[in-house]
Amino acid sequence: MKRLVITEYEGFNVPSDYNLDLTKTNIKDCTGCWSCWIKTPGRCIHKDLDTFYKAYLNADKVIIFSRISQGFVSGNLKSLFDRMLPLYLPFITYKTGESMHVPRYAKYPEVEVYYQGEFMNRNDQKIYEDYIHRTFYQFHNKCEVVKPIAEFTMEKI
Amino acid sequence: MKTLIINGSPKAKNGNTEIFIQEFMKGMKSPCEVRYAARESSQQIAEELKQFDTLIVAMPLYIHAMPGIVMKIFELMEPASDEGKSMGFIVQSGFIESGQSKYLEQYLSSLTERLNYTYLGTVIKGGSAGVYMIPENMNKKLFNQLQNLGGHFELESSFHPDVVKKLASPQMLSKRKARLFQLFYKVGLGDSIFWRMLLKKNQAWGKKFDRPFADKRG
Repeated sequence: MKRLVITEYEGFNVPSDYNLDLTKTNIKDCTGCWSCWIKTPGRCIHKDLDTFYKAYLNADKVIIFSRISQGFVSGNLKSLFDRMLPLYLPFITYKTGESMHVPRYAKYPEVEVYYQGEFMNRNDQKIYEDYIHRTFYQFHNKCEVVKPIAEFTMEKI
Repeated sequence: MKTLIINGSPKAKNGNTEIFIQEFMKGMKSPCEVRYAARESSQQIAEELKQFDTLIVAMPLYIHAMPGIVMKIFELMEPASDEGKSMGFIVQSGFIESGQSKYLEQYLSSLTERLNYTYLGTVIKGGSAGVYMIPENMNKKLFNQLQNLGGHFELESSFHPDVVKKLASPQMLSKRKARLFQLFYKVGLGDSIFWRMLLKKNQAWGKKFDRPFADKRG
């Protein structure tokens, strides 16, 4: 089983086939140019994520150690999400009853998210968790685990 | 009341968000200052917005929330030390249903509370990807609504609830509409026409389904 790990905080050394260390990497921001849809389909104008894309699509499971920032995903992780756009087509399907982008690839890895940080209250925590579930639902990834880091064990993954 | 509008689009002056802001301000007697998230550092904007009583952050919906560059500004904001500050948002999305922005809206409302600002609400308009390229008469209704919104905002420091409601329609697609749109998609009509035109213009139509990073499973 191939595992890809995205890390935003120190302290968890999970063996992986590919590790994207966001504590040391600033993801280039999406420029909104749509090149990945209408000029060079599937390819971003930025090249910093090319090896990541390949490893991501090749992985069976992706584990994201997300750092809560101002009650949400960090700007850096959000920019990584924005940069997933090349993995989808511009065309929209309505077969689930709502707009969804059509997948470009046949398969996307399963995703688990373990987050670290404080929320103001339970409602805030739910907003974050709902957002993560929503994103990966629309990304066509299976994503059942979105949990605080305290619930992480090596055995579970 | 001193209002700052932050344009949160990575496309700065060249996108739909800018058109929304300009139309909004057309309804005002004296326009507000506008700053561009894509043209300045997040540190600089987060520092300077402290001088304003009211903030409006206008942005496109990116991956079910704000663009990364907007979150980078939010991350640097500190709770307002004095009372009486307020913040509102304008979100425009490619997806036709305003309900697609509800995850973002919930966060914006909670963020405002966290920062000790008063929440003025979030104006959401779906189906906006083509605003910059369609003829002006097709945008007329939208532009009138945005101007009304701006005029009311200047006088009342709030978003007019009737206009907000109109802009937010449709919130979801009816089953009938979804089936119809799906049929359009299958036969290459509806919004597929827009994408086909753009792909062809860039000589990329034949490459539209390319999978440059595919492994053996495709």
